[in-house]
Amino acid sequence: MALKDEIHAKLDAAFQPSSLEVINESHLHAGHAGDDGSGESHWRLEISSTAFEGQSRVARHRAIHAALGDDIIARIHALSIQIG
Amino acid sequence: MTAETQIKDTISTNDVVLFMKGTKSMPQCGFSSRVAGVLNFMGVEFADVNVLADEDIRQGIKDFSDWPTIPQLYVKGEFVGGCDIITEMTLSGELDTLLDENGVTYDKDAADKIREANA
Repeated sequence: MALKDEIHAKLDAAFQPSSLEVINESHLHAGHAGDDGSGESHWRLEISSTAFEGQSRVARHRAIHAALGDDIIARIHALSIQIG
Repeated sequence: MTAETQIKDTISTNDVVLFMKGTKSMPQCGFSSRVAGVLNFMGVEFADVNVLADEDIRQGIKDFSDWPTIPQLYVKGEFVGGCDIITEMTLSGELDTLLDENGVTYDKDAADKIREANA
């Protein structure tokens, strides 16, 4: 499974989001620090889910990190998260 | 001194600490650069810890904060967040409130200028 689909599937399962965009921004960082040549280094998430209601910003991000798991977190260089 | 002891010492002896890649005068990552840039522009006095200079601190701060990415901002010993959260809090004014509540001085006009420029 492509990394993008893996990320999508894990977040879908964890949060049943009402909207979810997984955007690969690696091309914007080509040649920068952290570009490992995989084309899958820099990611941006836009996610909306009732699962985040009442949680602090830090708690929301931690929940997303946990849902992705150490394996995915270790494989990517950067993850920008926007929670709507 | 272990990395954890060093981290605890740094965040307890400095009101504002940014764990970052590079230094505040020469950041080496766009995300670190953005947060350091906001703090510099707002005239916040902060200690910068270059995680690229020490692999134990680089891993240690991730474990200590339960947060997998750099930069990481601490105010009065409390973890505030990374680049996305600091950006959101700057634009919403929550960062001003946090600094006010913790008695950290900064230039309010500069903070307003950031918000005007991003409105």
